Amino acid sequence: MSKSYFDETHCAIGHPKSTFMQWMLTIDHKRIGIMYAAVMFTFFFVAVFTALAMRIELFAPGGQYMDGDTFNQAFTLHGVIMIFLFIIPGIPAVFGNIVMPLMIGAKDVSFPRLNWFTFWLYIAGCCIALASLFIGEGVADTGWTFYAPYSLNTGTNVIMALVAAFVLGMASILTGLNFLVTIHRLRAPGMTFFKMPLFVWGIYATAWIQLLATPVVGITLILAIMEKYFGIGIFDPAKGGDPVLFQHLFWIYSHPAVYLMILPAFGIMSEIIPTFSRKEIFGYRTIALSSASIAGIGYLVWGHHLYTSGMSDIAKTVFSFLTFFVAIPTGVKFYDWVATMYKGKIVLSTPMIWALGTIITFAIGGITGITITMIGLDIHLQDTYYTVAHFHYAILGGVVFLMFAGMHYWFPLVTGKMYNETKAKIAFYLQFVGFNLLWFPMFIAGYYGMPRRYFDYLPEFEIYHQISFFGALIFIAGLIYMFWVFFKGWTKGEAATPNPWNATTLEWHLPTSPPPLENHSKVPYVDFDPYEYHQGEPVVKFNYETMQRID
Amino acid sequence: MSNTLEGFSSSASTFNADMDFAFWMHIWVSVALFLSVVVPMFYFAWKYRADKVKNEEIGTLTHHTALEITWTVIPIIAVMFFFYYGNTTMKMFRTMPAESQSIVIDVEGSKWKWKYEYPANKAGHVHKIGGVYKKPTIDENGKVVEAGSMGISALYVPVNTNIILKMTAPVNDVIHSYYVPAFRMKEDVVPGRTTKQWFNASKVGEYDVECAEYCGTDHSYMYSKIVVMEKDAYEKWFEGAAEDTPKGNFAKDGKALYAQNGCASCHSIDSDATLVGPSLKGIGSKYDSQYLSDAVTNPDKDVPEGFYPGIMPAFKLSPEDLATLVKYMETGK
Repeated sequence: MSKSYFDETHCAIGHPKSTFMQWMLTIDHKRIGIMYAAVMFTFFFVAVFTALAMRIELFAPGGQYMDGDTFNQAFTLHGVIMIFLFIIPGIPAVFGNIVMPLMIGAKDVSFPRLNWFTFWLYIAGCCIALASLFIGEGVADTGWTFYAPYSLNTGTNVIMALVAAFVLGMASILTGLNFLVTIHRLRAPGMTFFKMPLFVWGIYATAWIQLLATPVVGITLILAIMEKYFGIGIFDPAKGGDPVLFQHLFWIYSHPAVYLMILPAFGIMSEIIPTFSRKEIFGYRTIALSSASIAGIGYLVWGHHLYTSGMSDIAKTVFSFLTFFVAIPTGVKFYDWVATMYKGKIVLSTPMIWALGTIITFAIGGITGITITMIGLDIHLQDTYYTVAHFHYAILGGVVFLMFAGMHYWFPLVTGKMYNETKAKIAFYLQFVGFNLLWFPMFIAGYYGMPRRYFDYLPEFEIYHQISFFGALIFIAGLIYMFWVFFKGWTKGEAATPNPWNATTLEWHLPTSPPPLENHSKVPYVDFDPYEYHQGEPVVKFNYETMQRID
Repeated sequence: MSNTLEGFSSSASTFNADMDFAFWMHIWVSVALFLSVVVPMFYFAWKYRADKVKNEEIGTLTHHTALEITWTVIPIIAVMFFFYYGNTTMKMFRTMPAESQSIVIDVEGSKWKWKYEYPANKAGHVHKIGGVYKKPTIDENGKVVEAGSMGISALYVPVNTNIILKMTAPVNDVIHSYYVPAFRMKEDVVPGRTTKQWFNASKVGEYDVECAEYCGTDHSYMYSKIVVMEKDAYEKWFEGAAEDTPKGNFAKDGKALYAQNGCASCHSIDSDATLVGPSLKGIGSKYDSQYLSDAVTNPDKDVPEGFYPGIMPAFKLSPEDLATLVKYMETGK
């Protein structure tokens, strides 16, 4: 029995004997990815149950279980965890780490020790965020956007939350740097940029955003801290500052951050669709370049968050115009994916139904985003449940759903085991139905004027909140069931072969499942496209010992 | 579509027809675009399902220039329509009518109430209306036994008349947003700045106003109401004497002032904990009211031992508010 990366590892310092210390000190990209996933999903569930608590409170008008202040802290906690601790590290931290080096035929990322340090920086950020729960006046009540001057005046623990966000931002920058260098320097010989799998393209575009946009939010958070501690008037009008400046600086980062979340997710979609259609992807170059162009245009659209903030009308018009041009490359990708299925051989395995389900939910999320790009309509819908529903359709129904798709797709690669397909599909349908029941009513409530961040509401909106509540129950049941299926699969599942899906990309051409410590036995020579199928079978075959082509 | 929210009708203001057209045009075009993705997806997933397709029948199409141009150009045309209608509706909201042909009303949003100040009427009287929302009464299970209410505090305006709202917030307050769902309009109210919006109501009735920008504890209760009256009824009220101004339920007790001015972020009052500044618990027995009011308006004048000048900003409060606040610090009421 050959050794896998679970049996042996390289460590940052020394050669510890204990399994625990080996995990703590590991610099292996696959182990680090797993540890990210473990921590991130722990926080994810904390935030999910915080959200459920809010839904319970909102079930009926009036204040049953929490008062306004507690509710304000609850939605801040939910937002901060989901954004900074979960979705921003997100797919890059987990699958960028585990899969990207395998896809380009590398033995690890370029800077494995930096990768280890980055993980622990992330943990430090999480600890600071957690500590803010228990120190002083409790967790911040500002919303995850920390808008000034509210964040400068409130008595809650905003500073801790800002410091945590800063440290997490630092981790994000270092991850981006590491991945950029890895993709530039460690691609297998012969693999040009246009021979890279599309997931790597997604990670590449994302890494640039992490590297270039994150410092802006870092600076903003530092300015807010300086204002709060030293009384320097930057954002607070009482000290001569400008509160709208904060919004500009905040969204210069936080809007590109949305693309930072979605681009790797689109990458996962672009892996799954050709694999389960058993044919080459339609419009490879279009998809690759649209990721790059979204990453570029994404910097220039932040102002669409400020249509009602008192910004000049000319600025609104320009931002609105540019924002529509993010929608176009995104829309083109959808057509490319569907065209890939044309005359394919569609295998409806669990990863594929997650991907197809996401086409529906993300299309709704994207289209409703266009609604609020129209300036006049946004004047009505800004800060209502319409916007909340749009955001959750795009991020939960887009990014997180595709992350789940990726978890089902790469589960056999990571664990060497297989989950129960039937049960995994039941989990999908539960979540899909629950998700739509949970968020679709919010579009209607928002259209009728239900503002976000209200802990009590006018009785007219009761019905929408009640439907949402039942949707939430179904959704969470499906979510827990899905993780249970994963758990059973990992502990009791059947052993998986190295390429269970008949996929083409390099991460499926490993000698064993799960992979050995240093991945491929030899560095392969890449003189083929990433998704070459001939009559439903992968064209490229390797001798896994020598990594020579044998087809 | 049924009308659930109070006053949410399709003809409440001059904006509504254009707004609803832009919205539904966008929705129907979007539904068509959505179907153009989802219908082929379901069809292909069914038509080319694995057990129906032999391996040698699998296609190899990876490019189709005409199709690709089509599905790039049609969405571009669609979004340019969206852009156009987004822009014209914005212009409608943002092009203020001439002030000479409008009633200009000053609006102040502060934690957590809206205040309106009218121009002086013929008798020289200035109507000032405003107040907090009376929260719903709930029983011990949290069930609402009596719905909340704005009482008679409202923005009273005549029908078919341009109303310009000049909005601001006190400089030491936070951002709010004046949102009238029935008129499809909102604009942020920023401390230290004046922002404007306008409307022309077409139907007599009562319309809800909500705060849409998160502003703290009672954000969810920062309501107001717009009462649209017949023109002559409005004139009669407007030209009336001071006694006729609806008084509202403009509650401003010391506790509210303490919260609204953000005192609590640096001074605890229920405990002895020292935050940034000293605790104010039992402060009334240590200092007289003159010292306390100076400490609010000119904090660096006489700083207690162990603390430093230059930390606390000076607060500008009206004399009545200041007295109320000092009394709260002294007595807890």
